[in-house]
Amino acid sequence: MNLDWLDAFLIFGAFKVVEIMGLGLLVHLQLGLTRVANFGVVGFWGVGLYAFGVAHLKIDWPFGDPYQFLVCAAIATIVAAAAGLVVGWLISDLDDDGTLVGTLGFATIVVILATTQQGLTGGALGLGGLGFPYDFSRVKTHEFTWLLITAAVVALIFAYAWRVHRTPHGRLLIAVGANEALARSLGKSATAARLRMMMVTSGAMGLLGAMHGVMVRSLEINSLDVSVTLAALAALILGGTARVFGAVVGVLLTVALFDIVIQFYLPIPDGWNTQALPVAREAVFGAAIVLMLIFRPQGLLGQMRRPALMRRLHGDW
Amino acid sequence: MSFVTSQTSEASTNPETVVPPGERKGWSKFGLSPGWAISVVVGVVVVVLATLFDFWATTFVVGATENAPLVLAAFGFALLYRLTGLLNVAYAETITLGAYFAVWMNNSWGLGFYVVLLPAGLLAGVLSVVTYLVIFRFAKGRRVGNLEMIVISFGLSIFLQHALQFVFGYRRRAFDIPPPNTIEVFGVGVSSFRLLALASVAALTTIVYQFIQRTSFGLQIRALASNEGLAQASGVRPLRVTILIWFVAGLCGGLAGVFYGAGASVESFLGIDELLLILLVVLVGGIWGLLGVVVVGMATGVALTGITLEYGNSLYAELVLVVAFLGVLKFRGRRLTDGSKV
Repeated sequence: MNLDWLDAFLIFGAFKVVEIMGLGLLVHLQLGLTRVANFGVVGFWGVGLYAFGVAHLKIDWPFGDPYQFLVCAAIATIVAAAAGLVVGWLISDLDDDGTLVGTLGFATIVVILATTQQGLTGGALGLGGLGFPYDFSRVKTHEFTWLLITAAVVALIFAYAWRVHRTPHGRLLIAVGANEALARSLGKSATAARLRMMMVTSGAMGLLGAMHGVMVRSLEINSLDVSVTLAALAALILGGTARVFGAVVGVLLTVALFDIVIQFYLPIPDGWNTQALPVAREAVFGAAIVLMLIFRPQGLLGQMRRPALMRRLHGDW
Repeated sequence: MSFVTSQTSEASTNPETVVPPGERKGWSKFGLSPGWAISVVVGVVVVVLATLFDFWATTFVVGATENAPLVLAAFGFALLYRLTGLLNVAYAETITLGAYFAVWMNNSWGLGFYVVLLPAGLLAGVLSVVTYLVIFRFAKGRRVGNLEMIVISFGLSIFLQHALQFVFGYRRRAFDIPPPNTIEVFGVGVSSFRLLALASVAALTTIVYQFIQRTSFGLQIRALASNEGLAQASGVRPLRVTILIWFVAGLCGGLAGVFYGAGASVESFLGIDELLLILLVVLVGGIWGLLGVVVVGMATGVALTGITLEYGNSLYAELVLVVAFLGVLKFRGRRLTDGSKV
């Protein structure tokens, strides 16, 4: 495959867009449907990244890639899902304030463990040696293929989110998010629904973390940054928290705009890429959250279209 | 010691909770609430341990003085949280701004640490009020929900963290001040800055507490926090009172930021790095009122120092405390956050 026309940085920019789109879709299920404000997205993503990296580099597997990748990615997903279950249980009877502290606390614990457990994670120095689970001889081909695989995974996440809106489980999540007390009074198990949602979405965040590890080929403590949470949250709020397409539209208007359009196609002065542009990017994302929630809290795509969806699924009432 | 508003509201709604002085039992007979009594006992134990054992002396003295800014910041945050019900993540940037203002005045005009301390705190207080008027009051007027308010404060925090780098520069900044005097307490050397931070905590908590308890303005604050509609009907002007709360909270945060900055260096993430512990101290300590926040804040500082001294890594100390606080959070459940507010 001749990819000379494709810039390597552009592949990485597109990978970030796809990755944040996946995280945004998962945050949509948490925040948009169930009204669980997860401020520790980077924690679940980071658990997956580090679980994958440690399993891949520290365990002497009797088989090579792609099986090694599949097993390690499964481990990352399971560990992140377990973490989601624990955090979900922790915040299950807390209000929004407690949820913020619980999820933020979890992310902090992950960062501290990744920093202090140097024997396993490499600590602040990080750990290199991760690689792609295939060999095509050219780095650019590796990365482009990995971008396509990640896009396929995110497409599956999109399909899952789309499907959830149309299932009894999804309707229960929406009911719990809208009025938990009412859902409980009708005999629905709000806690079980939330735990299941947290487990599934956290596991998927962990899988995306593992896929990020393959793309960057190393574990770096600096990657466990609030910018991961911010990008997913800002994109979703901009697009619309209650709509499946909200994360897609939001990511195209935020991450794609900054990490691809501005970075590659606008004539910005030399040196801006290293400091000014990343700082401006985060400031704009923060401002976007504030302005959108004040002036258009439902996001660009608007409210969830439940009546229209229900009519389409079940005919006229 | 429960905060006065909850006492007032309980007493006014449930006559059975008002106990005549002659019928009081236990600590109450001496005019002490259990919270005060426990604080006195803990204080005596601390002094005895610090006198007898070097490790404990170092732990208590260094813990109380090094982490006095944490208590000050938590006190300001608790004031805002208890009286307005808003968990304001952007409070972290009030702390950062206090530090930036101080270091800017110090670096630009050569003013000493003690000279810039109060102006920096006052400026942070003013900016805290500005964020309230421009963002949170406006959002409240548009009927933005509680969850969205928290997310707005998160967005504002991120915006300020990064926008401040364009104003004050990307690099870390340090105070240009001579080394502070060292004073021995229980045989442990402590810098005069740290002792001043501790004194500020004591002074500010006492003043604010007495202000809320004893003055008519304090009564208005309590009334507004308990029932905004009723308070307004009774003639309380909510804007004036709320602005005062935001200003005092910003002042506390700004002063804490100056002390944090003097202890290390100043950068745009200074406040957010401390926020989680502040939140946890406020949520857990807030169950016992503002005094509870001070006591839990102090205990957190001492525990941070003790674990760091024992294991040689402050991250382990933070890890242990975060896990412990999250355990309390789970154990207390919804009652915890409810109890931390009025």
